[in-house]
Amino acid sequence: MAEYQNLFTSVQPVGPLHDGIELPRGDDKRSGTPFLVHLLGRIGNAQIGPVYLGSLGVASLVFGIAAFNIIGFNMLASVDWNPIQLIRQLFWLALEPPAPAYGLSIPPLAQGGWWLLVGFMLTVSILLWWVRTYRRARQLGLGTHVAWAFAAAIWLYLVCGFFRPVMMGSWSEAVPFGVFPHLDWVSALSLRYGNLFYNPFHALSIVFLYGSVLLFAMHGATILAVGRYGGEREIEQIVDRGTASERAGLFWRWTMGFNASMESIHRWAWWFAVLCPLVGGIGILLTGTVVDNWYLWSVKHHVVPAYPLVSPLVVDPAILGVKP
Amino acid sequence: MKIIFKTALCLMAAVMLAGCERPPIETVQTGFRGTGMEQIYNPRTLAKQASLNAAPAAAEAADAEGPKAKDVYKNVQVLGDLSVGQFNRHMAAITQWVSPEAGCAYCHNVQNFADDDKYTKVVARRMIQMTQKVNQDYKAHVAETGVTCYTCHRGNNVPTQVWTAPKDRLYANSLLGDLAGQNMATKAAGLTSLPSDPFSPYLMNAQPIRVNSDTAMTGAGAHANRASTKQAEHTYSLMVHMSESLGVNCTYCHNTRNFASWEESRPQRVTAWHGIRMARDLNNEYIIPLTDKFPPNRLGPKGDVAKVNCSTCHQGAYKPLYGAQMAKDYPELQALAKP
Amino acid sequence: MSMLSFERKYRVRGGTIFGGDLFDFWVGPFYVGFFGITTLFFALTGTMMILWGAAMGPTWNVWQINISPPDIAYGLRFAPMMEGGLWQLITVCAIGAFVSWALREVEIARKLGMGLHVPVAFGMAILAYVSLQVIRPVLMGAWGHAFPYGIYSHLDWVSNTAYQYLHFHYNPWHMIAVTLFFAATLALSMHGGLVLSATNPGKGQVVKSPEHEDTFFRDLIGYSVGTLGIHRLGLFLALSGVWFGIVCIVISGPFWTGAWPEWWSWWLNMPIWRT
Repeated sequence: MAEYQNLFTSVQPVGPLHDGIELPRGDDKRSGTPFLVHLLGRIGNAQIGPVYLGSLGVASLVFGIAAFNIIGFNMLASVDWNPIQLIRQLFWLALEPPAPAYGLSIPPLAQGGWWLLVGFMLTVSILLWWVRTYRRARQLGLGTHVAWAFAAAIWLYLVCGFFRPVMMGSWSEAVPFGVFPHLDWVSALSLRYGNLFYNPFHALSIVFLYGSVLLFAMHGATILAVGRYGGEREIEQIVDRGTASERAGLFWRWTMGFNASMESIHRWAWWFAVLCPLVGGIGILLTGTVVDNWYLWSVKHHVVPAYPLVSPLVVDPAILGVKP
Repeated sequence: MKIIFKTALCLMAAVMLAGCERPPIETVQTGFRGTGMEQIYNPRTLAKQASLNAAPAAAEAADAEGPKAKDVYKNVQVLGDLSVGQFNRHMAAITQWVSPEAGCAYCHNVQNFADDDKYTKVVARRMIQMTQKVNQDYKAHVAETGVTCYTCHRGNNVPTQVWTAPKDRLYANSLLGDLAGQNMATKAAGLTSLPSDPFSPYLMNAQPIRVNSDTAMTGAGAHANRASTKQAEHTYSLMVHMSESLGVNCTYCHNTRNFASWEESRPQRVTAWHGIRMARDLNNEYIIPLTDKFPPNRLGPKGDVAKVNCSTCHQGAYKPLYGAQMAKDYPELQALAKP
Repeated sequence: MSMLSFERKYRVRGGTIFGGDLFDFWVGPFYVGFFGITTLFFALTGTMMILWGAAMGPTWNVWQINISPPDIAYGLRFAPMMEGGLWQLITVCAIGAFVSWALREVEIARKLGMGLHVPVAFGMAILAYVSLQVIRPVLMGAWGHAFPYGIYSHLDWVSNTAYQYLHFHYNPWHMIAVTLFFAATLALSMHGGLVLSATNPGKGQVVKSPEHEDTFFRDLIGYSVGTLGIHRLGLFLALSGVWFGIVCIVISGPFWTGAWPEWWSWWLNMPIWRT
């Protein structure tokens, strides 16, 4: 195709690197000398750095790296300190929460104590990072929308790892640290609680997940399609609507009868993305605390479809008092 | 740079695709249309497995006339009511089924066949009774197809699919790295991170397998369902084993939208329910009491005897030997002798 | 008329693929075009058939309405209407409607002097639908492998189809797709948040600039992809998420019949480290 499709930048003008908007007093100086990566520049900005490392950031990293190391060393120990086996079995390994028998008590280090410590440190790290996202926005005179979106994700993380286990009276209900193990947890939760597809909050959360993917495809494609009119200059287009916004809006209006504006599309985006973990967290929190079997809950609420039986009627052998 | 990148990409693709199969495949619908309850088979794999799971031909039935084996031979504690001809036919069959290479000498002192010196003879005697028990009392699982020694042994001294308690890792008592009995890639767990020993709790001990509530809302106090999410992982691990052992998937027995419901399950689930109880019974009544008869090289790393699970008989087939009816040719294995 | 204040000057002729000026007009805010007509035809026909199927079924409860594909025994043949044939006709209408919608988007984009990114992106979603309902069933030899049309019934299909492989989470392409889906949602929240934070900076503040946006993310993580880059990234994450989703399900069945955890044995058994 001879026409430029606005997917990769073919010519990268290089000017003086940007040191960032000046920070107010009270903030530290930024770290690192910015440099360019040409390949990155084909997609977005080529500049890497500088980064702001304040006390919040450093503290967050300290807790985070400590947590990461505890997980890693436990995994290494579990393969008898063999680094080759660590790589081989990496996806299967885990740092497990305490066994159900320990309830909410603090177990020995080796039997879930490390998990508890990591959970605490990782949570501190994440919360410190949250404050950092809030503060960096405020220091630059920006709104705090990114921080509040992050809060929705933190809500889901805390529901899975803290609020729900506490409400259930057992750390063992929480998620293990590990690639395949955390997926086993997902399956086990659904198996134990009568099929999470029948949890309406889970269904709604998926609507927002798929909806977010749909929206970003729509919005990304729309902006790229009006790139020739400067569509990606969204702030400018918001305060002073130009032909890019007009064409973008009309595209959708003519397609589906209504449209967003250059600003409001970002509100659609923010809400869809935020509602995924927000609603999902509610669904998880209700599981086991209020509802014990989502399939039966759905039967109660008349949403379960019926199928004709194709097998002869099956009866539970246990209630028949069958003696083998 | 570009060439290295492209080569790496090709290599990665080749590696990822190397494990893949190809159409055409065969499917069997096991539920109402559109529910997704299906069994999926690769016909090429199935053909190979069918050839590996064939039953040997039975010898012609022997004459039931004549003196009984227990009157002619010494120290005949089981199968004594068979005629000598039938008894010898059975011994020939056992040899073919369990020790085709070592022959009679695997169990017998060939200078004195009545001798009980070899542990294999003592174990075999008990296992004959076990086989009879299965065929007599577990028709709910084995129906009229039944089992013979070959069903498990398949010409091997020790069945290939047995289980023992898994060994601890080297630094099992250290401060770090406790995997809590799961989170390693083991064959027992079907290469998942699920618990790697689903057999001890469910096929030896009788821990509850069911985890679901029969009420929608969470119960309180005495009505609470105390099963944990972790417990569901243990059940799941057992189910993975059962599926892999039979070469089937979850929808063979269940409609996964509601695993617990018997009304929405298939009759095969009842057969499996009996199979679990049968495995427990065999392990506890026959196999485990034989532990001190076995030499150390036949025991597991923790000193326990090799026990049965679903794959011991099934070995990847939905019915052992794909339903070949061996037992009907060996009526002596159909019932326990009257005391 | 339901036109926006600036809309009139954009309502010009042209951009059509098919039919010239014949259907080049609007109804209210909707552009018609030749493919607007075909969309209407397929969508109405398909909807009528769904309603008829519901009427033939046991319930009007919107959550329970279900129209199932044929039994697998029918293979790739046309089934009787009440035994899955209706499902087949609805599927034809769905594909007709979706493709018509995409081609209509092409006409609208051309008329507005825009790139064709939106219909191309929508094409990936159509490919996902066609892969699930046509390509995979054809590879497996029967229409009965496709999902039914019903709000909860299609979820029963997902559950059972996944458990056919014992533990679908272990499907590596599924893992990649899920990761891309969550990454797309994360990126969307960041992008939405960033633009809103610059244009809604709070009491007493002036609207900020793209330099503020870049500075925020550079301060935070050392890199800012920029105003153009984020739209490329978002589109890429979304489309590749859908792509790997397509790959993960087309492989399951036609190119892999076992349990997905078993697939990983090639990794575990590599000669350099097998135990």
